[in-house]
Amino acid sequence: MSTRDLVLSALFAAIIVALGLLPPISIGIIPVPITAQSLGVMLAGVVLGAKRGAIAVLIVVVLVAIGLPVLSGGRGGLAVFVGPTAGFFIGWIFAAYVTGYLSERLVKAEQTGLAQGIGFFIASVAGGVVVLYAFGIAWLAIAANLGFTKAFLGSMGFIPGDLVKAVVAALVGRAVMVGYPLLPQRS
Amino acid sequence: MQTLHVDADTWMHRLTPRVKLGVLAALGILLFLTSSLTLLGLAVAGGALLYFRSGLPMSEALRRLRPVILTIIVVALFSLIFNPVHVAIVTVLRLTALMLFAASVTATTSIAAFMDEITALAAPLEKIGLLKAADIGLAVGLVVRFVPEILDRYRAIREAHEARGIKIRITTALVPLIILTLCDADNIAAAIDARGIRRH
Repeated sequence: MSTRDLVLSALFAAIIVALGLLPPISIGIIPVPITAQSLGVMLAGVVLGAKRGAIAVLIVVVLVAIGLPVLSGGRGGLAVFVGPTAGFFIGWIFAAYVTGYLSERLVKAEQTGLAQGIGFFIASVAGGVVVLYAFGIAWLAIAANLGFTKAFLGSMGFIPGDLVKAVVAALVGRAVMVGYPLLPQRS
Repeated sequence: MQTLHVDADTWMHRLTPRVKLGVLAALGILLFLTSSLTLLGLAVAGGALLYFRSGLPMSEALRRLRPVILTIIVVALFSLIFNPVHVAIVTVLRLTALMLFAASVTATTSIAAFMDEITALAAPLEKIGLLKAADIGLAVGLVVRFVPEILDRYRAIREAHEARGIKIRITTALVPLIILTLCDADNIAAAIDARGIRRH
């Protein structure tokens, strides 16, 4: 891993941490303010690609483990790893990887803006929703004794918000790609 | 950035992180193997004793627990709707005990001790060429160094929006924030290599 890749990952980890400290920004029509850290995970994949994106999130996980309160609301420490929602936190690493991998495959510099946006959206949903919830629901089902069906149903309420985040990730991902392209290509 | 470590000198502080993490992992497994209310109740009491004697003032100790306790309660209520009462209570006790033990380890272990432990754990990965253990410390240092900078940058972007009379929106704020931040990467990487910090 080059020093530049390491620095890019660390800077993106810092962005994810900062997103947890910013006052939540409400978006347009939806009255719910977005706590932007899980958006940051999608963005890590969309902007940096699979490997660097996953490492950026891994750095955040290390920060939490060593006792820095870097998650939104000042959460941190090992308690985050044993709570009922720990799966959603650990799943971040894989969510960023899958989002990045699909972004690398689906989005090409020569495509139209719309095609790029759709590619980024599909990547963000696959990684930041499908993969993330697979981890989150599995741990919730086991740790909270809920069983998979109930854990699944209980998590569904958060899906609309995450779909909105995927739209934001796609818009931001495309704009960053135009302004400062970093995404590796994979064919 | 303030850490969750508490600077005190209890016997928990003097234990090596490896022992504490090992015990925590073992407890994680053991607590999931039992559904005895007595055992789980004892575990909660033990965890509470450890946590509240880790040198934290009571109010701060409680404040730190609030977010995790809240999730546990929400999940327990949800569980109560579908499961027998006994199962819900077991779940709450088990998660609360684990959380108290985990919070005790966090409170009694310094960042430096954790970093040494993580670097030691990463040594086998370094042998097979997956990563350089020293890079972990470098990355953590970089994040801690740059978070305040990114927050300042966000404030500057917000003020620029206000000066132009534009309402701040998530996309118009994030795009310049990400581009400006990542533009620094080349300079920082050059500075790191110029100082030979990664030695390769």
